[in-house]
Amino acid sequence: MSLLEVKGLTVSFGGLVALDAVDVGVDAGETLGVIGPNGSGKTTLFNALTGLYAAAAGEIRFAGRELAGLEAHAIARLGIARTFQSSRLCLALSAFDNILIGMQAGRRTGLLDSVFRRGKLLAEMGEALERASHLLALFNRDLPARGFERVGQLPQIDRRRVEICRALASRPKLLLLDEPSAGMNPEETAELMRDLQIVREEMPGLSVIVIEHDMFVIEGVSRRVVAFNYGRKIAEGPFAAVAAHPEVREAYLGRETARA
Amino acid sequence: MALVLVWAAELAVFALVVAGILAERPLPLAATGLAIVAAAVGLRLRPGLRRALVAAFVAHRRAALAGGALLALALPLALRASPYWTFVAALALLYVTIGQGLNLQIGTAGVLNLAGAAFAGLGGYSVGLLTVTAGWPAWLAVLAAPWVAVIVGTLLFVPILKTRGHYLALVTIAFVFIFNILMNNFEFTGGPQGIKNIPTLRLFGWPFTAKPSLLGVELPAHANFYYAALVMASLTTLVLRRLHDSWLGLTLNTLRDDEIAARCCGVSITRGKLLAFCIGNFFIGLGGALYAVMVGFVSPPDFDFGYSLVMLSVIIIGGVDSIPGVVLGACLLLPLPERFRFLHEYRLLLYGLVIVVMLLYRPQGLWPAAIRRYR
Ligand SMILES: Nc1ncnc2c1ncn2[C@@H]1O[C@H](COP(=O)(O)OP(=O)(O)OP(=O)(O)O)[C@@H](O)[C@H]1O
Ligand SMILES: [Mg+2]
Repeated sequence: MSLLEVKGLTVSFGGLVALDAVDVGVDAGETLGVIGPNGSGKTTLFNALTGLYAAAAGEIRFAGRELAGLEAHAIARLGIARTFQSSRLCLALSAFDNILIGMQAGRRTGLLDSVFRRGKLLAEMGEALERASHLLALFNRDLPARGFERVGQLPQIDRRRVEICRALASRPKLLLLDEPSAGMNPEETAELMRDLQIVREEMPGLSVIVIEHDMFVIEGVSRRVVAFNYGRKIAEGPFAAVAAHPEVREAYLGRETARA
Repeated sequence: MALVLVWAAELAVFALVVAGILAERPLPLAATGLAIVAAAVGLRLRPGLRRALVAAFVAHRRAALAGGALLALALPLALRASPYWTFVAALALLYVTIGQGLNLQIGTAGVLNLAGAAFAGLGGYSVGLLTVTAGWPAWLAVLAAPWVAVIVGTLLFVPILKTRGHYLALVTIAFVFIFNILMNNFEFTGGPQGIKNIPTLRLFGWPFTAKPSLLGVELPAHANFYYAALVMASLTTLVLRRLHDSWLGLTLNTLRDDEIAARCCGVSITRGKLLAFCIGNFFIGLGGALYAVMVGFVSPPDFDFGYSLVMLSVIIIGGVDSIPGVVLGACLLLPLPERFRFLHEYRLLLYGLVIVVMLLYRPQGLWPAAIRRYR
């Protein structure tokens, strides 16, 4: 069953067409890889899916609903969670607070409870903290003990994990990961790929879209891959087929020769 | 043992504060000043003592709060010879209430409201109009006035709250000046003279102009307002602490630090900012309302832009987003220029200087915001 269906999605900035009539679909429980060179429109796809950018044309159906015109916070509440290419954590807040914010949409207590029924609020907060610890422990057993530290004090890779935990905290149906390995060294990248494996095993019903700049990182994570270039989808299918696709090879090789 | 340490420390602070306020002649004043400096230097040089103190206060939070409450209740006894200082102490407590409201906006939510004076003025003028013009009893007017601040704030600022960056700061600055011009020119608000003869508070038949007595000691009439302001400041601080350590505080902190991340976590920016703005304006208006019955009149200069700056410096001194910081900031900053009369003329300069120095050297404030622990 298809959870997400994108048809003819077009996003443009002035004269620049960042996404050009793109079709993408994701099934429930599936992990889709997205690859493509710099500026090919991968992040723009996520921004359009999460309501940060308005689409010029096309439709986005998610869990049977049309998302066009919905505000970002409303889309998040429908069950789409994401991470960002360059981290967007609140560095002055604790790691726990950064994860708890993912749970606030599902809270059961209101303002009056916070003031007048403190016991009820604290009980709910206690449960939330417990779940946050559990999520952190999936990736690193030592991390829950540092949950009350400011997240800015954690090493880069643990911050990435906190960001993934924040996205998972809302119990989303669809998780969007924008280059989780950006800024990581090869060992850290390997660790993160293992982390994603853990997410897959822990939450088998969750659908995931992973953007990776480096197409070989994606090999271990997702079976199906789409490739973008200049805002257009140029290939789709199993990793091996996409990697061998002439247009994909040209996009990547072209970039490499340009660099050399 | 630790308990004794806590209470001894509180008593020492109390004694230094009272001595600092009441010492008139140069010699006692110098002695008090020296004692304060010696205490500060001692704490700096003896980190062991400092750590022991902090640990003692953490271990005996309730006892420390009880001790502090007792000393706050006893302060008018120590100041009984001076109605003026009783008044200043009450004023500082009003600024605790106002500061907590403003801190929710500026510190917690990053909503840079520089119209604190105008919202306090809306509360104050509402009390004046409701009592003098409409004939309401003062206590009812004080309860109703904050809602005027909330409603006017909502009507005027909803479209602007959505904008990002410094628009709101600019527009709120403009609002203070417009408020002043209007109050100066409206006939029904008394123009430059303002509203005089606001009736005093009367609770259970007790008029606030009568001199109360505590433990057989007669206190100045302003002690009534001191205690009213103390109750109000305590309740406000409790409410704001609870709101801060809950989903609301967490949500507002997140949208302050990163609006995009907050939206992608399902936070409605408009709703969050509006909530912070309304709750904050309620307490700012409440402070202004009690101010009006305390001094018995309101006029435009009581609510000019300078007071917005005073409110802002309370927050910056104490610690942005820090609930205990607001209490500390108000209790330090309001009495200081009163103590040193020569500073009084330059008070705005002093506040400006204090803000700059703090932002440069200790931006987190004297009592920085702690990490939320939800307990
Ligand atoms: N807010 C914006 N305003 C103007 N142009 C934009 C905006 N966001 C993206 N673009 C442009 O759209 C194109 C696609 O950008 P996008 O960020 O989606 O690329 P990407 O595939 O994520 O690249 P990278 O691998 O570098 O992250 C680029 O040319 C970019 O400059
Ligand atoms: Mg990108």
